[in-house]
Amino acid sequence: MSASKAQDSRLDAELQQALVARLTAMADDELILGHRDSEWTGHAPLLEEDIALANIAQDEIGHALLWLQARSELDGSDPDELAFFREVGAFRNARLVELPKGDWAFTMLRQYLFDAFETELLSRLRDSRYPPLAEAAAKAAKEEVFHLRHSGLWLERLALGTDESRSRLTSALQRIWPYLPQLWQPLPGDAALQRAGIAPNPADLEQPVMARVSAALAALGLEPPADAVPNPGGRDRHGEALVSLLVDMQSVARADPGVDAW
Amino acid sequence: MAEAAAPAADEQQRLDAFEARIANGEKIEPGDWMPDAYRKQLVRMISQHAHSEVVGMLPEGAWITRAPSLRRKLILIAKVQDEAGHGQYLYHAAETLGVSRDELIDALLEGRAKYSSVFNYPTLTWADVGMIGWLVDGAAIKNQLMLAQCSYGPYSRAMVRICAEETFHHKQGKEMVLTYAQGSAYQRAMAQDALDRWWWPSLMMLGPHDSDSPNTPQLVRWGIKTKTNDQVRQEFVDEHAPELMDAGLTIPDPELHVDEASGHWVHGPIDWDEFWSVVKGHGPLNAERLAARRQAFEDGRWVREAMAAYARRRREAA
Amino acid sequence: MATAPTPSGEGPRWEVFKQDTPSKPHQAVGSVHAADPEHALLMARSVYARRPAAVSLWVAPAEAVFAVTAEELAAAEPWSVEEAGEERLYQVFRKTSHRRAMTFVDHVGEVSAPGPRAAVAAARQAFPEPPALAWWVVPTARLSASPDDEAAAWFEPAADKTYKQQSAYGLLAPKKPGRSKGGDR
Repeated sequence: MSASKAQDSRLDAELQQALVARLTAMADDELILGHRDSEWTGHAPLLEEDIALANIAQDEIGHALLWLQARSELDGSDPDELAFFREVGAFRNARLVELPKGDWAFTMLRQYLFDAFETELLSRLRDSRYPPLAEAAAKAAKEEVFHLRHSGLWLERLALGTDESRSRLTSALQRIWPYLPQLWQPLPGDAALQRAGIAPNPADLEQPVMARVSAALAALGLEPPADAVPNPGGRDRHGEALVSLLVDMQSVARADPGVDAW
Repeated sequence: MAEAAAPAADEQQRLDAFEARIANGEKIEPGDWMPDAYRKQLVRMISQHAHSEVVGMLPEGAWITRAPSLRRKLILIAKVQDEAGHGQYLYHAAETLGVSRDELIDALLEGRAKYSSVFNYPTLTWADVGMIGWLVDGAAIKNQLMLAQCSYGPYSRAMVRICAEETFHHKQGKEMVLTYAQGSAYQRAMAQDALDRWWWPSLMMLGPHDSDSPNTPQLVRWGIKTKTNDQVRQEFVDEHAPELMDAGLTIPDPELHVDEASGHWVHGPIDWDEFWSVVKGHGPLNAERLAARRQAFEDGRWVREAMAAYARRRREAA
Repeated sequence: MATAPTPSGEGPRWEVFKQDTPSKPHQAVGSVHAADPEHALLMARSVYARRPAAVSLWVAPAEAVFAVTAEELAAAEPWSVEEAGEERLYQVFRKTSHRRAMTFVDHVGEVSAPGPRAAVAAARQAFPEPPALAWWVVPTARLSASPDDEAAAWFEPAADKTYKQQSAYGLLAPKKPGRSKGGDR
């Protein structure tokens, strides 16, 4: 702890602010994705998959907590306060993760694409010069190995299963693909974080992630949509799906805001 | 194991040897000789238990999206995940007796199979989640500890594994309810309301009175049960009544008192009409629970078909 | 007596063997339904390694497992074996105690035999002590293992999930005594 405090004092105000924003974006991605994954609990196609996806959901929410705790060390914020009392406009998750869970093909494809992105992100964060970030990334990276195996397995089984599974997968691909580019859009402070060796620039993740994803899709005879991709805007712009997600997610906590503990 | 029709004396000999093994503390394993009635009782009990776990995911699962803190969110997902896991272990145990999981799930979805009535009650508030953990899982643990001693190996092993995981369910529920019982006015009211609705279903979950349980003596003889319903129910009330009261909550039973002579807590009469109505499927949510499971099963059909098609392709290519 | 394969919307059944630590044998913990070996391994990890400890998993199709209990062996003496067949390697598992446990048979070693019945005969010779209460033999070729080089990713994260371990919950009691109704405490 004292080592990280020494590290904190080397972070000037600009870098602190940039890191807080980056951690928030990462945490929001994990929290919203984990929440979407958890919606399958009790409804998965196979009892074993119910159990598997519940584990992935716990991992994602656990990652959200890791990033929010790292943010808390910088600005004293409270993770639960951030999760349950921010309005929609204050969330910084990518649109990709807030999309409704859809069918199994949609969920598994979205998971695969995010897993590919997170794997690349974490592998670079492990080299962060900010130790708390490097440590958290190492932990999360371990879990990510399994996630990618699992979602990759489903990509293959759905692509090479039945006509129906393949058709649902290509349908999902059409709907999800336009949201990918937002993952490489840097936040205003990301350039400074990159210069300081604290975090990679998301723009640098595009090439390796797309290489992995394109190869995987090509191996399965799948082609991403060729149409020009509309810009979903910044991470401060959200759709209506996030509104209903948050209304539900925050409802009990907001029912009695002043409590000491839940 | 196929057998030619055996004379009655031979059958009696086998039965005596079987009962001697049980009395000796031996485990009966798949492949060992067992009376048909033993096999049938076990398939019935184990599959009902499995169905209960899986259906039981729904009342609490509904609140996962609304868990009011990140830690509670993780805990509840883990708990409901465990329930799926417990169902999984139990279906495995039932399958060792020659039924397939397909058949068992068919029976459940078509309304031919029973599951614990307690899961036909609705979860109306967040505090219900805590109360279910404390009371319903508290009652389940008493049963499970007893069943872990079961003479049938696979059932005993599933129960030992379940017992190891169930304690966390009980503790997290108790922790929640204690927090709310001593929290804000809103939280206290929510906890009391949950207790008002879950106390009696938890008592009823432990089964009919011994006088109304015709199966019990044979189950005890064959080492499938080692305690009666009323014995387990007594243990449950003795443990939980004083703790709930210490937390400042009121148990919805005006006749509940300690018997001076025995030191045991004595409860008021259980409304068995309601119990039987719920068991027979007329509980508030029986139809909804099964409809939800049916929907999930149907929605997942194309996925399971894809899994099978992929596996077939791989085998053919090999 | 092998478990007969049943056509299943749930997929075939796979027996799962878990190794808790490097110094313990793989032990039968239960089964999973899955379509293929890779899927079965991922499902086995999800179902049986949610909590510590584990370092390795094996899965085998249930129909590839030949099981026989001591009682069945006694009833079938002399134990007849396959006359001829291709020699294959079998992994041998056995149970030697009636003590209550959450695992069934333990891995004890391997034998070479022309068929499962011969494998059991060879196992009884190779591993005579202590007397086995049940034997399982599985052709080595039918077993799939979790990747050793990913063991850290597969099995270490479970240790961090302390919120689901009962040991992480201390003694739970009300902060202040409440009013108690009836009876002496």
